[in-house]
Amino acid sequence: MSKIKFHPSEELLVNYVSGQLNAALAVVVGTHIDMCPRCRAVVHDIEVHLATRELHQTSPVAEPQLTAMLESILSSEAPAMPERPALQEHVVLESKSFKVPPSLGRHAARMGPWSKMPGGLWRSPLELSAEERMYLIYMQENAKLPEHTHRGNEATLVIDGVFHDEHDEYRDGDFIFLDSDQHHTPHTADESCLTLAFLDAPLHFTSGVARLLNPFSSLFFR
Amino acid sequence: MQVMPEKRNTRQYMSTVRREPQEMTAEHLGQLLAEVAKTRSRVAFSELFRHFAPRLQSFATRQFGNEQTAMDLVQETMTNVWHKAHLFSPEKGSPTTWIFTIARNIRFDILRKNRHRQNDVSAEDLWPVLSEEMSDSDEDFALDTRILLQEIGEYYLQLPDAQREVVEQIYIEGKSQQEVSDTLGIPLGTVKSRTRLALQKLRELISEQN
Ligand SMILES: [Zn+2]
Repeated sequence: MSKIKFHPSEELLVNYVSGQLNAALAVVVGTHIDMCPRCRAVVHDIEVHLATRELHQTSPVAEPQLTAMLESILSSEAPAMPERPALQEHVVLESKSFKVPPSLGRHAARMGPWSKMPGGLWRSPLELSAEERMYLIYMQENAKLPEHTHRGNEATLVIDGVFHDEHDEYRDGDFIFLDSDQHHTPHTADESCLTLAFLDAPLHFTSGVARLLNPFSSLFFR
Repeated sequence: MQVMPEKRNTRQYMSTVRREPQEMTAEHLGQLLAEVAKTRSRVAFSELFRHFAPRLQSFATRQFGNEQTAMDLVQETMTNVWHKAHLFSPEKGSPTTWIFTIARNIRFDILRKNRHRQNDVSAEDLWPVLSEEMSDSDEDFALDTRILLQEIGEYYLQLPDAQREVVEQIYIEGKSQQEVSDTLGIPLGTVKSRTRLALQKLRELISEQN
């Protein structure tokens, strides 16, 4: 397997680990992490760092409350794990089957139908909620994505194959994050390409550390 | 029942021995988790609880700005620690990191619960921490069951006895890894590593043949 050249920024990985990302973007980032040993190691370091930082301070809790909570936990039933859709190892488009990493496979049951678009393109929406949506996009050989603009950020992950734009070429595992000012025109050449793409609201990933303190709900603003 | 004496021990322990948090090494916390997993030790859990509850409370208060919701997070997190301690694996990280990831997931779910959604994703779908079948390398357990049912019969007899036994119970008798661990009296981690090795071997055998 060729080496992955393009990775999520450390800021994105920190937001992934701390649970601050739009859930659809978290799936795209998580799928990259499944494919990328480098980012798995970085994520592990971030977990250690955040855990140490976030669980360093203590808040005083009144003794009777603590004791009551402890007793209640010791006599509790094991929490039930909610039913969830089965993990799918593959996604299928007509006669083609693509192996997908577990972070995507856990959500593949939510995939909508493929729709064929002009120019050798197929698209299937994958919705986690009304505000959290991504697309699987398949570009056949020698296809070109129509010129498009997006108001927010765009994250694209190559699941299988290779595509090009005016800047570079992108292969399995490559993760490309563009903000609204950046434009590109993806196309394929001799090889086809399956990507997972996320489009975000215009608001996010613009401010610095303060964003970590934003109320969670603002992430869902569109 | 042994509930009464156990409780007395717990109380006695709480009123007399109070470890300072600074003494809590990852190794010691890991031993406490192992005791909870193996013997359901209330004493070991109480010590974990005394260490982590005030830390989680502080974390959750910063997150929610609401003391009651913060207490809910503490209770839910530590309830999972009490019941799922066997899912902790020291090779993957420290107890503090593991408990932080549980709290992170519960925070995510609490925030979404307020949004009243149907069929909503839960944190476990995004960051599996407590799902038993996902608690080891995802890749290794994701062998297509259709392949298994159709083709396993021809190959699994070639596995070493220890691996064959585990594969038989999981894929033919349909037991969970935890049930296999209980039946055979071997640790869950051993069941997982044997399953992993067996699946690797099966994949090799199947692809050699094709
Ligand atoms: Zn990476």
